[in-house]
Amino acid sequence: MKPRPLVRELTRLIGPDAVLWRPEDVMLYEYDGLSVTAPPELVVFPSTTEHVVEIVKLAAREGMPVVARGAGTGLSGGSVAAEGGIVVGFARMKKIIEIDIENLRARVQPGVVNMDLTLAVSDQGCYFAPDPSSQKACTIGGNVSENAGGPHTLAYGVTTNHILGLEVVLPDGEVIHTGARFWDRPGYDLTGLVVGSEGTLGIVTEIIARLSRKPEAVKTLLAIYDDILDAPRTVAAITARRITPAALEMMDGFTLRAVEEAFHAGFPMDSAAVLLIEVEGLREAVEDNADQIEAICRENHARDVRRAKTVEERDLLWRGRKNAFGALGRISPNYYVQDGVIPRTRLPEMLQFIAQVSERHQLRIGNIFHAGDGNLHPLLMFDARDKDQAVRVTKAAREIMAKCVEMGGSLTGEHGIGIEKRDLMPLIFSPDDLEAMRNLKAVFNPRGSLNPAKLLPSTKMCGEIRVQVSTGGAL
Amino acid sequence: MSTAVETMQREFVAIVGPSHVVSDPAACAAVSVDGKTPQCIVYPTSAEEVAAVLRRAAELGLAVIPCRNGTKLGVGNPPRRYDVALSLKDMNRVWHYEPDDLTVTVEPGMKFGDFQHFVGRHGLWLPLDPPGGARASLGGIVATNATGPLRLHYGAPRDMVLGMKIATVEGKVVKTGGRVVKNVAGYDIAKLLIGSYGTLGVIVETSFKLFPLPAERATFVIPVGTLGIGRDLRRRILHSPMTPLRMVLLDARAAELTLAGTPLERSVKELEIWLEMAGSARGMGRCHGELEDLAKAAGASLHRLAADSADSVWTRVADLPSWLPGRSPGVVILKALLPDASSEELFSRAEQEAENDKALLAGFAQLGVGVLHLCLLSEAATPAVLGLIRRLRGAAENLGGVLTIERCHWDLKERLDAWGTDSDDFAVMKKIKETWDPKGTLSPGRFVGRL
Repeated sequence: MKPRPLVRELTRLIGPDAVLWRPEDVMLYEYDGLSVTAPPELVVFPSTTEHVVEIVKLAAREGMPVVARGAGTGLSGGSVAAEGGIVVGFARMKKIIEIDIENLRARVQPGVVNMDLTLAVSDQGCYFAPDPSSQKACTIGGNVSENAGGPHTLAYGVTTNHILGLEVVLPDGEVIHTGARFWDRPGYDLTGLVVGSEGTLGIVTEIIARLSRKPEAVKTLLAIYDDILDAPRTVAAITARRITPAALEMMDGFTLRAVEEAFHAGFPMDSAAVLLIEVEGLREAVEDNADQIEAICRENHARDVRRAKTVEERDLLWRGRKNAFGALGRISPNYYVQDGVIPRTRLPEMLQFIAQVSERHQLRIGNIFHAGDGNLHPLLMFDARDKDQAVRVTKAAREIMAKCVEMGGSLTGEHGIGIEKRDLMPLIFSPDDLEAMRNLKAVFNPRGSLNPAKLLPSTKMCGEIRVQVSTGGAL
Repeated sequence: MSTAVETMQREFVAIVGPSHVVSDPAACAAVSVDGKTPQCIVYPTSAEEVAAVLRRAAELGLAVIPCRNGTKLGVGNPPRRYDVALSLKDMNRVWHYEPDDLTVTVEPGMKFGDFQHFVGRHGLWLPLDPPGGARASLGGIVATNATGPLRLHYGAPRDMVLGMKIATVEGKVVKTGGRVVKNVAGYDIAKLLIGSYGTLGVIVETSFKLFPLPAERATFVIPVGTLGIGRDLRRRILHSPMTPLRMVLLDARAAELTLAGTPLERSVKELEIWLEMAGSARGMGRCHGELEDLAKAAGASLHRLAADSADSVWTRVADLPSWLPGRSPGVVILKALLPDASSEELFSRAEQEAENDKALLAGFAQLGVGVLHLCLLSEAATPAVLGLIRRLRGAAENLGGVLTIERCHWDLKERLDAWGTDSDDFAVMKKIKETWDPKGTLSPGRFVGRL
């Protein structure tokens, strides 16, 4: 097989080892965390912004789509080349260009791994606040594209609250710089628009991020429940008592047994649910808050409230939580993870509803929630080889999603719309709302060549709404 | 009255009713902007009416400026045209309020003071201290992304808005975001509207994330002899475990002006840092001790202010445009936005420039935020002020920032852009403006690059 002439051009411009074109090579880039597969024609690894400019110009000439890709950990298919074309992999653009501790800023390339930025500033008492569970692998460019969250976004906000400026390559090769090193530059907030736009408005080639100062003290509590509904009741009570922990996570008994078997993190095997609660700040404040929270847990019938005594104990609890998807992957051939959001006061009701759905469709569902901000990750277990199960998962997922919407919630809190939920968008947005989005997309990406078939519903498919079910493994 | 004006009024009366269109010259003069006065004021009462008014105005080729109490109408370039003031005074409703969820959805005409009172009953607040204070409207605060020193701890409206509805010149009402605290479904169009100064659409509904009111608060004053000591203290405080809610550095003149007429009125001899802490009684006790040590190490003293009098002082610090012109008619208020660590350097440069020009300067730096208000108090001749502003703008840009004009007589704005220099993303901004508002119906000429 001979490569097309474009490969030679790209090789000359970017380097002989920077272009993949053989089917067996590009195959590795045909999926991400969603596992809907579509092979790209080429995968290119730029080292500079100029390389990205060259790539989009050549792609425009050839009429090929361009899809940016970080580590491929996304859960909604954001980095899958749905219509083929060129995947731009950011594995070689992973420089931390500048760290400015006094102004609490960092300038990074998009391929920098989330955790690596935190590690780079850790000695100086700082960290990068967004902490998706995949933070050891996922890139900041990907975080920016998906507006990623994580357990600690409850107190500190999601990615968009920590990004000040971007360098963006537009599909015609023009390079723009949005935002600034300081807050609130006058003008339209293009940074805020591009963050979370899932690679459909431009290709981000540099990021100005805000660093945060590490708190003086951290306390991690594990509240253990015999009745699963007491856990979300506690969450509602903590919120209603005007306490904002740094993180407030929930796992049901089914999930934590799987986690415990995989990681031996110290979760009780016989409980119905646990809350993992963290408070941070000044030593005195942390003690006061931890005491208040413990009292609320006990008022809501917690069987026990444990506090992590050492850093190791704390890390172990978090390792269990952050690898929970993986643990469930061990016990089921496939699972489908959802990302709906509801008002926090409705968590108990939602948990009951999910139990009914599980019963009705004869499916095991594990519940892992960023409970403090009402962000649900029900995991629907199934075996993709069983057609009937796959159909039931689709129906069950659809019912849970519709319930989120009915409660005044959203389709996605942090994983993005991607391919996965694009055709569900009409559940929450009117044709006028969607048209406003399309018009904005046209300003940046008029030919639709950047990351096609994402975020906005396909115009071809009217009426019939379906859920794309992941058949993949886990992070 | 000309026929054109009569036609215009008839059109709007058909949408909002006769009692919601006012063309009384005195009323119109009260909402004039930079020397231009509208022909009428329209008071819609619903999102649909706003959309219909905008659509009709666009069809008639009219220019509309949305407003409420006008606390921020002085910001921006002079409008190219101005026919209709669209007042959101009659849109005050609360659509959803879930105190236990810490979320609320409201119309834009509600006054900030009324809103804080409304949610304050449940121990909540929107932690902003915008210019205009209690009189500012929620819609105006969001449309201008208005902040004060509290930005240090809590962020800006851009960090608190969960979703909104926008009336467009096409006559549509478009929704973006939602009412839950975490949501990444679709483009975050709200970000585009926040800080767009009414040039893309009219915000007709906003959902906010609310915050618990702090248990206890205390304000501390540290006199600092020089900007160098001020910078040193800023670094030490911001890099300590303490997390101030807000912190400002003021020169003696600024401090004295701010305190004048309050229970804390006194003469001020040197620069001062004012900062506010919050937390439990135990936490506050600890902060007090640590601040005392830091002040002592810098050769300074520390004073604690009583909470109630401190509140009025903070309101004044945040709301310069409301009271400063009353004390110093003809004041020019400049606002520099720059990397925080350069605040004192620009402050010092401004002091020198003002002294050379024999101009009276009052400087207010919002520490940790990177906002520096430079107020030129003396009524200097226009050419001299122009030169001074240009030099200060140059200095701010050399430090990696920008300098905007928050308030000045409009003849100055004819010769100086209120916002500063364009950047390489301006072409995209222009295209967005053309997409949302192709005929330049909304606040034409007022925004960045005279969009």
